[in-house]
Parts: sequence; C-alpha cells; structure tokens
Amino acid sequence: MTDTISRDVTAAAPAATTKSARTPDVTRRRISVPHLLLIPAIAILLIGMGYPLVWQIVTSMQEFGIQQQFGKPADFVGLQNYLTLATDPTMWQVVGRSLLFCFITAALTLIVGILLAVLMTAVGRTARLTLQISLLLAWAMPVVAAMTVWIWLFDDRRGVVNYLLDMIPGVDMNRFSWLSNPLTFFIVASVIVIWMSVPFVAFSAYAGLTQVSDEVLEAAQLDGANGAKRLRYIILPMIRPVIMIVLLLQLIWDLRVFTQITMLQDAGSKAGEFDLLGTYIYKLGAGSQDFGMASAVSIFVLALTLAISWFYVRSLLKEDEQP
Amino acid sequence: MKRKYAVAAIATAAALVLAGCSSTGDAADDGSAEGQDITLWLMGGDTPDALRDYLKSEYADATGGTLTIEEQGWGDAVAKLTTALPDAANTPDVTEIGNTWSPTFTNAGAFTDLSDMYEELGGDKLLKSFVEVGEVDGAQYALPYYFGSRYNFYRKDVWAAAGKEVPTTLAEFGDTVKALRTDSQSGFYLGGSDWRNGISWIFANGGELAVKDGDEWVGALSSDESVEGLEQFQELFTGASNAPVTEFDSTPWVNINDNDATGKPEAATIIAPGWAHWSIGDLAPDPADATKTVATWNDDVFGTFVLPGVDGGVAPVFAGGSNIAVSAASENQAGAKELVKIIFSEEYQTMLGENGLGPANLDYASSLGDDQFAKALIESAAGSKLTPAAPGWAAVEGAGILEEFFGKVSGGGDVAELAAEYDEKLDKLLN
Amino acid sequence: MTTTVALRTRRLRPGRIVLTILAFAIALAWVFPVYWMLNSSLLPNRTLQSFIPTFVPFGGSFANYANALEDGSFYSALGISLSVTLIAVFFCLLFAFLAAVAISRFRFKGRKTFVVAVLLVQMLPAEGLFIAQYKMVSSVGLLNSVIGISIIYIAAVVPFTVWMLRGFVAGIPADLEEAAMVDGLSRTQAFMRITFPLLAPGLVASGVFAFLQAWNEFTVALVLLPAEQMHTLPLWLRGFIQASATRETDWGQVMAASTLVAVPVIVFFLIVQGRMTSGLVSGAVKG
Repeated sequence: MTDTISRDVTAAAPAATTKSARTPDVTRRRISVPHLLLIPAIAILLIGMGYPLVWQIVTSMQEFGIQQQFGKPADFVGLQNYLTLATDPTMWQVVGRSLLFCFITAALTLIVGILLAVLMTAVGRTARLTLQISLLLAWAMPVVAAMTVWIWLFDDRRGVVNYLLDMIPGVDMNRFSWLSNPLTFFIVASVIVIWMSVPFVAFSAYAGLTQVSDEVLEAAQLDGANGAKRLRYIILPMIRPVIMIVLLLQLIWDLRVFTQITMLQDAGSKAGEFDLLGTYIYKLGAGSQDFGMASAVSIFVLALTLAISWFYVRSLLKEDEQP
Repeated sequence: MKRKYAVAAIATAAALVLAGCSSTGDAADDGSAEGQDITLWLMGGDTPDALRDYLKSEYADATGGTLTIEEQGWGDAVAKLTTALPDAANTPDVTEIGNTWSPTFTNAGAFTDLSDMYEELGGDKLLKSFVEVGEVDGAQYALPYYFGSRYNFYRKDVWAAAGKEVPTTLAEFGDTVKALRTDSQSGFYLGGSDWRNGISWIFANGGELAVKDGDEWVGALSSDESVEGLEQFQELFTGASNAPVTEFDSTPWVNINDNDATGKPEAATIIAPGWAHWSIGDLAPDPADATKTVATWNDDVFGTFVLPGVDGGVAPVFAGGSNIAVSAASENQAGAKELVKIIFSEEYQTMLGENGLGPANLDYASSLGDDQFAKALIESAAGSKLTPAAPGWAAVEGAGILEEFFGKVSGGGDVAELAAEYDEKLDKLLN
Repeated sequence: MTTTVALRTRRLRPGRIVLTILAFAIALAWVFPVYWMLNSSLLPNRTLQSFIPTFVPFGGSFANYANALEDGSFYSALGISLSVTLIAVFFCLLFAFLAAVAISRFRFKGRKTFVVAVLLVQMLPAEGLFIAQYKMVSSVGLLNSVIGISIIYIAAVVPFTVWMLRGFVAGIPADLEEAAMVDGLSRTQAFMRITFPLLAPGLVASGVFAFLQAWNEFTVALVLLPAEQMHTLPLWLRGFIQASATRETDWGQVMAASTLVAVPVIVFFLIVQGRMTSGLVSGAVKG
C-alpha cells in the first residue's frame, strides 16, 4: 500500500491542471503542477496560521502583559521568558504530568481501539453493527455536551457512577468526590478522553483490517499461528500505516487536551496540580494576562510535540528518501 | 436564564463610521450623544430584564440612539474584555466589570476618565470601596454598579433541636457550627477552596490579602493576623464542613433545603450572597410548571444572621458586586456618558435596590426594603471589604491561586508555611 | 477462496459466542453516556434532583426541549454552526486534496519543506493564540462573521486533512488510471471514474474529522464571535450551562440542550456512514 507513495508517477490531478500534469518535470522554470496544487493550502495556512505563529514567536520574547495589550510598548527580553520557564519547577511538573497523561491515554486509546476493531472482524453482523453504532453515537457527541454528561455521571452526590459502585457490597463510594484529588481527577479525564477517541481509532483500524486478506490469515492459521501471533505478526504490520498516523494524532491531541480538562476543572478544582499544558497556557494567557510567558510555553509545547512525534517525522522523511 | 437580544450589533459598527474617526476618546467628548448607537456589556444574568428594558428605552429617549445590551458569561469575560476593549471597532462602549478586576483594567488604561462627572453621578455617596478600585492617581475611571454581600442562612429547626442560639462573636460561631456537624450534615457548609467566603476570617482578624509597600504591592497572607484568621478557617472547615476541599463558589443553598431522598437538610448553616434567599425554603412543585421545584421561604424553619466579628459586631465579609466603566477606545464617548448618567439616576438606582441589588449610591439603599434580607444585606455590606486594588489582581484570580491556596489550607496543610509560599506567588503577579 | 469462506462459516467456534456477548457488553457500556443524556433530557428536574437515579424515563416528557428551544436562539446558533462547519469542511477537503495529490504524486523542490511545515503548524497549541487571532480577524473587519472564523478553522484543520488524504491518494496505484486511459478514457474521465470512487472513503473519513473539529470548537469561537446572535452551538450550550451555574444546574434542560447539539452530528454521520461502509466494502473487495 505505501510502496507506491514515493513512486515518481504521472499525476492523478484534477481536470483543471491535467494538461501540464502529463509530463512533470521538476527542473522546469515555470510554476510546476505540484506547486499550483499546493497554492490553496499554503495560502490558507499563511492567512490563518501565519500571523498568529509569528505573533506567538515574537511575543514569547517580549514582556507582554495586559498593559501592552492596551497599547504600552512591549519590552524585548530575548530568551528571558524561556529561562524563567526552564527554572520554574511548576512548569516541569505540568510538563511531566502532561507527558504521563498523554502517553497513558494515547496508549490505552490505541490498544482499546485496535482490540475493538479486531473484535468487529471476529463477530457476526448484528454484533458488529451494534458495536459500530454505539461507537458512532459516542463519537458524534459534541465535546461540550459529552463533558456535561460525564461530569454529571461522576458527580459526587447525584452521579450514577457513585450510585452503582456503592451498590457493590463492601464498597463505600457514597459522596466520593472524584474531581477533588489529582489522581482520580486524571483517571476520570483519561476515561473520558479514551471514550471519545476510541471510536476514531477503532474505525480507522477496522478499515485497515478489512484490507488484510482472509487467505493470508487462513494460511497462517494452518501453519499453526495462534490468535496472538497472527495479530502480532500479520495483522499489526499490515495496518501499521493506519496505526502510525492514529498514534501521532492521539499523542498530539492528548498532549494539549484542553476542553475536557478545563470543563472538569470548572466542576472540580482550579488548583495548579490539576493543570495540563493546555490549561496551563490558558491560565497564563487568558487568566493571568501574561501573554509573553503563555507564548513561550506554547512554543515550548510545539517543540515538545515535535520531539515526541519524531518517530513519525523520521519515518516519513526516510520514506521520502527511498528511490 | 434566557435573556437573548435580537438586536443587530452591526448597527454599532455602522454608527462608528458615521460618528467619524477620532482616535482619542477625549476628542469625542465634545461630540453630541445625539443618535449614537452604543453597546453595553453586562456580566452574567444579575441585571434583571426589566432594568435592561428601562436602560434601552431611557437611552433612546435621551439620545435617539439605540442601546444594545450583550450579556457575557462571567467565566469567559476576562478573555473577551482583554481582546475587545483595546479594539476601537469592536469595543463595548460601556461595560460592567467584576469589582475585583477593576484595578487591572483601570491601570492598563482601558477606561475613560470620568472624574469630571463624578460629583454629578453621586460623588461621596457612591460606595467607597468600589470607587477606590476604579481609581488611579486620584482620577475616577470605573465606578460602582451594584453590590451584594454575604450573610448566613441557618436552619432554625436544626439549631433549636441542638439548643443553639445565634452567636455574637466569630469564635462562638465556630464552636456552634462545629457542634452541629454530623456525618450526614455540615454544621456550616463551606467549600474548601471557596476563598471568597474564606477571606472573611482573614479580614475579621485584621489581616489583608495584600498591602501596598511603597509603590509595590506585596502579599500579606503570612502576616500574623492573616495566619490567625486562616488557622481559624482551617479549624472551622475541618470541624464543621463536609464539603470537598476543592469545592469553590458552590451553590450551597441546595444543602440547606430539605433533601429529596432523606427529607433532611445537609447543612445547618451556609453563607451565601443575599439573592440566594430566592432559592431557599420549603420545596414544592411549581404550580405553574410541575416539572420544576420552587422554594418558599418559611420563617419558622429558616433564618438569617450576619457573620459576627471577632469581638462581636459584624465581620468584614467579601463585598461582591460590579463596577461600570466607559471604554477608552469607544468612539461614542458622549453616548456612553449619557448611559452612565442614566445608570446613576435616582430612578435606576432605586430599581436596582428593589431587585435586591445593592445600589451604588448609598442614598438609595432604602430601596432595598426593610425585610430581614435587606437588613442583613445592608448590615453585612457596611463592614464589607474588597480584594486589594492592585493592578495585577485580575491575574491572581485568573490563575486560580487563591482557590489553590485555600484548598491546601482546608486540606490540613501548615498554614504559616503555605502562607509564605503563596505570598511569593502573589508578589509575582500583583504589580 | 470459496473453500476457505465455506470452512469459516461451517465451523462454529465456541469462542465466538463469548466474543459476541463481549461485543454487546462493550456496545452497551460505550453508549451509556449517550443514553444517559437522552434519558435525563426527558425527565423533569424534580426527578433528576433525587439521589436515586432514574434509569428509564417513564412518565417523561419533552418539556425540557420546549424550554431549551423557547427563545429561538437555538435555531440561530444551529444556522451559524452549520454554515461555519460546512464551509470549513468543503474548503478544507478541497485544499487538502489538492495538496495531498501534490505531495503523494509528485517530487518537487520544496516538497519536504512543505511536509515538515504542515506538520509543525498543527502542533502549535491553540490556547495561547486567541489574541493574535482576534487582532488579525478584527483588523480586516471580519469579527462576528462566518467567513472570519471559517478561515481560521480551515487553516486549523487543513494540515491533519492533508495527512489523512495523503495516505489514501498514495494507496491508489496511478497505474489504474493509466490503464483506463489506455482503454480510451480521457484523463478527467479516468480520474472521475477510477480514482475518485476509490478516494471516496478517504474523503468521507477526512470530512468527518474536519466536521467534528469545526463543530466542536469553542475557544476560538468565543473570542472571534463575541456577539450573541453569532454564537455557534457549542457557545450556545456553554452559555446554557453557565447561565444555570449561578443558580442550581437545571440538568434536564442542559441535557435536552446537549441532545439538540448532538442530533445534527448524528444525522450527518448517518448520511455519510453508508458511503463510508460502501467505500470500505469496495476496498475489501479489492483486497
């Protein structure tokens, strides 16, 4: 599937550009087809993200607070904001917490999603459709709506979760306040994020699995490979491209998860030990009006994301280098 | 709950073009308010519909222009004010602003100097603590809009059954509510991170959150008085409240009403802003809409008293409420000032009072009425205090530092150590 | 092939029953929050305030919905949300598709730069950007406009969409098209008849993704659409929750409002789901 990526072939370009697409020639002087194709995407990125990105970089090197927002000239402070961050233990706690949350949540999401996809291929039509529809409904829930329901489910007084857990003999969960303690707070957050993200992973993996041919699996089975081995040596490698991109997306999303955490904080606690990077930036910027620092953290998060997704970037660039 | 206005805000933009493009607010001062269409931002739903309608029709009568009122959620207001106020094309002309945020925006230069109107609007009769937070170097920028303050609601039946009397000192209050606590009932229901109520204990003991040292504001949580108050708060929370340590700005009145399942209240006492009394009482289905519950105040079961001070009298509680200011970037300065005049008119001030909101002009405080709620409001407001008028105070609130601090104190941390630690955090943000 | 299929169906694996039960159990658990929202939206607030949950909405009514819809602000928010989302999805797919073709079918100068730049842009956290976005949109007079926010959304979603589509485009052998052209089709025809149908599931999948991003977003919308009559559905719902935050939360009404916000997405999913599966089936046949 992926081996066609790097083939230097004639384009499947849309009608408007077909003529010139016939003989792609990189060294040609006039604007080439691929450049034309990229123009809209580049233009919208420059318009929509270019200025904010530049502003962010510039601001991260300024002392920019509410006074500056109201017109006072901002002092250029070079890398001072970054230095302040680097020496701030709170910042590193947030980074550590965010990375932990991100890795655990992304890994669980991926595992559960792939297992559900495998389950879909293993059961009959009715069971598969039921599972797919319920995942689809969960996926369709708007985040704000979903958060509202979840917060209520985990409510310490009238929450169904406590009510059901309390019914188990020997378990006293009456009035258990899930959102008061960082550990249970992040467990709840993780459960919610996994619940929301698994459908996307499961559907993507399922789409990948339908591409795995039955013959290969049957052959492997006849050769004595058990279920786990088939999964490990045949299925996973074959859906690897899908998994890679899904993993990348989950890592990026989970690292800077914002809406879920900020809504849980509204319901629970706003204290610093409940912050992840997303809410930390928001508190610095919108909350404390320290836009210089907020920008510096944003740029740092950009670098951090790049670092943890390096595995993907590298494999992409490698793919590119192949003849 | 549902106050939506089908008014075209585009009209404002159009008006800006018509009004001509003077870039400074002062230049527009000489302009006439005639026909200026302006926008007023109100925070949350505290201003009742009748008052909004009054403002609109009065403004139309006075200037022939249209007043558009847009309601902003408290939670998102700072982000919106930060972006919109400096932007001449989109700023609200007049805005309500949380009283504790006033110093920050005033110091940043967000508002128009209203000193020349100050006497006309009420001068010394305006609530002083609110005037101070909107003042820079003797000039008046943000003025009081309304105030509310907090007092206690208690269950007469529960207190009587335990043989308790309304306390007269803060220590007595603490002992009483601690004695009233059981596993299923808070003697005094108070969220552990609810600093807006918690600071009353600091104030009552003569402490402050921050003080001005020369030109700089510094945190004062670790002063002896503050620590004393915080220790009392800690003792009170652990001894009298069943609320989670992380709970902040809660809706405690649900706890003082009878619980559906048990038929008993979960709190014998709460402290809440005055308007909470509409939600407190015997619960019954709403005759107009059976799906809803209404609370009917019952004098035999419920009572009010103000939080007593350390040596008796009234404890200084947190003065809730809002300020009002004219945006410096507004190009309709004349119209905006016209609206401010309407807001400070006797008629509007009286309307505020009649709706249970403390009027900015204390001459009209009698409009609050003379029932027990009005009395408790006026009595508690008399001693009430505001958060420090430091330029960075909005940043302190925005960062959630006080919630965090009070949560840790409630959690049983060492008060003196925590206070020193959080003073440092305050120092960084206050100036 | 036929023999293996026959083999499969004939043999009734005992594990299969366990797996089927498991599938149903997971389905039930997954859908529970959705069910809970529906259930609560039908119950009167009095019932919801009880400490004992009501699991089936006997005696429920649509009163909460009537209350939530009362002032008509829902319809205006629905209109704004639909316009913003559809504009964003359409242009996002178009631009991303063109870019995906470029980077998966061509080698050219600056390709790698583009690939890395796109990757970088999507990693920038949005929480600190609101001042810059506000300044930019306001300076061109597009505050409180569908166009202004759509541009930001398109820019925010295009990178991911390029990534997703790139894989799909690369997965379709260019030879197929060449072969069709040898058979006498024009390039346009070859593209429309051969490549496009194969791409459909990819476009649908990316479209769903873009749709959800634009539909759910509210932090940018909060700043760029300050006027109440320009609120999108997430802002409307948030306003609803916040309005009741000063009083005791009217859960029934909030749940009804949440359901109303979810319904258009579910409808959208039902529409595209058929296509997605048919696309997947064609993919499966190919495999």
